[in-house]
Amino acid sequence: MSIQTSKLKLKNIDSRLYATLVRVLILVLFSVIMTIVSPVFLSTRNISNIITNASVLIILGVGETITIITAGTDLSIGSTLTITSVIAAIMLKAGINFLLAISAALLLGVLIGLLNGFLITKIKLPPFISTYGLQWAIFGFAYVILKGYVIYDFDPTFRFIGNGNLFGILPMPIFIMIIVVLAGTFLLGKTTFGLEFYATGANVESAEMSAVNTKQVTRRAFIISGFLSAVAGIVLLARINAIQANIGQPYLLPTIATVYMGGARPAGGQGSIFGTVIGALIMTLVSNGMNLLGVPSVWRDAIIGAIIIATVLIDALARKRLEKV
Amino acid sequence: MKNALLASSNKNRLRQLLDDVPPVIWIILLLMVTFTFLSKNYLSMSNLTNIAQQGAVLLLVAAAQTFVILSGGLDLSLGSVLTLSGITTAIALNAGIPIPIAILIGLITGAACGGITGLLIAYANIQPFIASLGIQGIFYGFALALTKTTAIFITNRDFAVMGSKINGIPMAAIISGILYLVLIKVSTDTQFGRYVIAIGGNESGTRLSGIDTTKYKWLVYVFAGFVTALGGVLLASRLEVADPIVGVGWEFDAIAATILGGTTFTMGKGSVSKTIIGVLLISVIRNGLNVIGVPSIWQPALTGTLLIASIVFQIWFSLRKEARQ
Repeated sequence: MSIQTSKLKLKNIDSRLYATLVRVLILVLFSVIMTIVSPVFLSTRNISNIITNASVLIILGVGETITIITAGTDLSIGSTLTITSVIAAIMLKAGINFLLAISAALLLGVLIGLLNGFLITKIKLPPFISTYGLQWAIFGFAYVILKGYVIYDFDPTFRFIGNGNLFGILPMPIFIMIIVVLAGTFLLGKTTFGLEFYATGANVESAEMSAVNTKQVTRRAFIISGFLSAVAGIVLLARINAIQANIGQPYLLPTIATVYMGGARPAGGQGSIFGTVIGALIMTLVSNGMNLLGVPSVWRDAIIGAIIIATVLIDALARKRLEKV
Repeated sequence: MKNALLASSNKNRLRQLLDDVPPVIWIILLLMVTFTFLSKNYLSMSNLTNIAQQGAVLLLVAAAQTFVILSGGLDLSLGSVLTLSGITTAIALNAGIPIPIAILIGLITGAACGGITGLLIAYANIQPFIASLGIQGIFYGFALALTKTTAIFITNRDFAVMGSKINGIPMAAIISGILYLVLIKVSTDTQFGRYVIAIGGNESGTRLSGIDTTKYKWLVYVFAGFVTALGGVLLASRLEVADPIVGVGWEFDAIAATILGGTTFTMGKGSVSKTIIGVLLISVIRNGLNVIGVPSIWQPALTGTLLIASIVFQIWFSLRKEARQ
């Protein structure tokens, strides 16, 4: 019996390692193709640019990974990113200290996460209803606050977060992204706090039997997701130095695609920050490649949608084969 | 003594009666009274027919969503199906194709869209909300590409008849009302309708009784796509234009209407016939905010908030009722 389970474990680890390898291979393959297509691709500047562009996606992806592991995809990330950066932008323009503006934005992100957590665990709304519904209301409020205007040109101290280089070499968005990734990896891999996300997502009943407060775990996941959406919003705002009410809308589908490409499953209980990072890099390379190849922007949503479907489909088919074996 | 007993049983009966009234009805009445106080024109015949006309398309999309939700699924792509079917109809009309055939092309578009989504959900076993979210991106991409991102104006004047008012009676409301009655009949009195509800209630049990559940799960999405396309054709006829973003967010309105009508996501509980209550609430909110002169910039935020609040109220109410029984 015990030999059997250990064999099963070994097989599991093998297949997971295999899946990760495949993803890294896809990333390398894309890079090779890009190098052949465009000679400037491998320049330090372009690489640093790509990683900087991927940073916002990775920060959002870390939060989304945690909610998806907990079996509750957060569909409100794009709108949370929008409303928090709108609040920060308004405060900055009013001459309020940028640290205060950032704190307010982060607090708002946490509050939206709390609201989602409340609606899901107390009112018992399915997560996609709560987050998808809140999304429309929040976009509405962002629209009200901005009244259709674009706010631009912020204080240089604040813009350092988006454009500055730490010690003259490391772009700030990459620095912030690395901190988020390290914190997320540590949290998910090395702490009980993190393992409870997996336990809740894999099987709520058995998690509860092992004395995990699954409702609290779900709330935590959405609070983290809201907080990280706000972090991503601040980085994005400082980087593009302007804001309009639809700033966050294009981020929902790519973020979800990123997390699934990283090996998470809609049913929950699986996924890793490392996988999400690889997924985000592939995603950024794909959109970079679409730009290089001159793919019309109208096809962007369609291609990203197709990537989501293809990723989940491959996973589902592979699972079916495994089950048959 | 006897009188007191009679009185108490009467009181109980009254309470029973009040309990049976769907809670959303109270919200609708409250809103209508408020709007009547705030605007003299609210209760006018022309405004009431306006509400009916505005709700006509949503009634069809929401009924389609109810079928899907009753089967235990979800379709987030219905908004883009609404858009896409209107576009293919408009393109066909402008190419000089006769009206009936153009409409048929729109309806086939819808059924085909639903067929693709259903394939992923029923046959590839992908979770409904993630499959339909990815599909949503793909269909919007097609809508943008087909229209080259600008609205298509329909040049065939006769087509607009379905969307016009004849002697003050909105044709769209009559057409959708008749179709809705047919849909109710389909859900209660046909094999298809009964199987859908059976699958939502207990899928494995239904399969064990010899029903091809996979096929029927696929058919639900085909059917929902077809019914949504009926709405898409009606909408294009009323607006006399096919816009690539006209359907954005409709899938959530449709889900909200379904939930507000008392249909739940578990155990196939609910009915197509009650979805009209949710549609009524949404139409009353949208129309009322307009009539009392709320600035258009505020409307998305207010509508979103009112909808979420109503959903919370509905779920809270039904949970409380369940607990009492």
